[in-house]
Amino acid sequence: MRKNLIFAEGEVRFLREMTRSKVDFMIVGLSAAALQGAPVVTQDVDLWFRNLSDPSITKALRKVGGAYVPPEGDHPPVFSGEAVQLFDIVTHMHGLKSFEEERRGAVKIPLGGFTVAVLPLDRIMKSKRSLGRPKDKLALKVLSDALRAARGRSARKG
Amino acid sequence: MRMQVSVERVKQLCRERGTTLTSLLAAAGVSRNAFYSLARRDSIYPRSLCAVCARLGISPDMALSADEGGVESMKSLLAEVEAIVGRDKRVDRDNVRHALLLLREKPIDRLRRALVRAQKPDIR
Repeated sequence: MRKNLIFAEGEVRFLREMTRSKVDFMIVGLSAAALQGAPVVTQDVDLWFRNLSDPSITKALRKVGGAYVPPEGDHPPVFSGEAVQLFDIVTHMHGLKSFEEERRGAVKIPLGGFTVAVLPLDRIMKSKRSLGRPKDKLALKVLSDALRAARGRSARKG
Repeated sequence: MRMQVSVERVKQLCRERGTTLTSLLAAAGVSRNAFYSLARRDSIYPRSLCAVCARLGISPDMALSADEGGVESMKSLLAEVEAIVGRDKRVDRDNVRHALLLLREKPIDRLRRALVRAQKPDIR
């Protein structure tokens, strides 16, 4: 039975396994913004990979009882399995540079004994502006205020 | 130090707010018996706390810092919000306050909050 916990041991273990195996990925989208303190709401955790065919991804999936489901028709690739169902695979970030270039500016966020690469708030905003969907426009104000709060906080701390 | 409830002081506060003790107790959901029982006590602090503090040679109120700490912490956060809003009038005060509160939490807890809120859209 699924434990009544969101983002519990299974999800954390999957990220830990990928980090341990040196899978090159970043958390992007609103979950990345949430990790950086933005008061947002999101249904999933978007993962952007350098190389989706990296065999270490499949190994990490197996360790948590998950599997990779390749794209089919108009459906993008997805992960199946209880521990990974919150994760969405991102194959392209609108309005941003290549994975390699964005990865260089990623922020490192500690996540219980390991760190994950996370797309910075200003880059998330750039992508949202580029997408321009109503839900992106709604999120932009919160993201920009969260960015100002984070920068203001850093400035105060010197 | 003995800390007692002063019935006269509470009545005075009621008068200042244009109400009566009876109305206040009704609104607060406190019975007259419970209120006067509390007012008759030598000290509103539990005996165990008084005993511990007596051994330490301090007054019981000196052992109660947790809530004060919370208040001070929130005051400090609000000052931080004011400083940020003061520098940039375009920002939304609530967004900044929530962001600063979240920044005090562990990243994984921030993420969990975002995911939980999405699964319970009726939460206010």
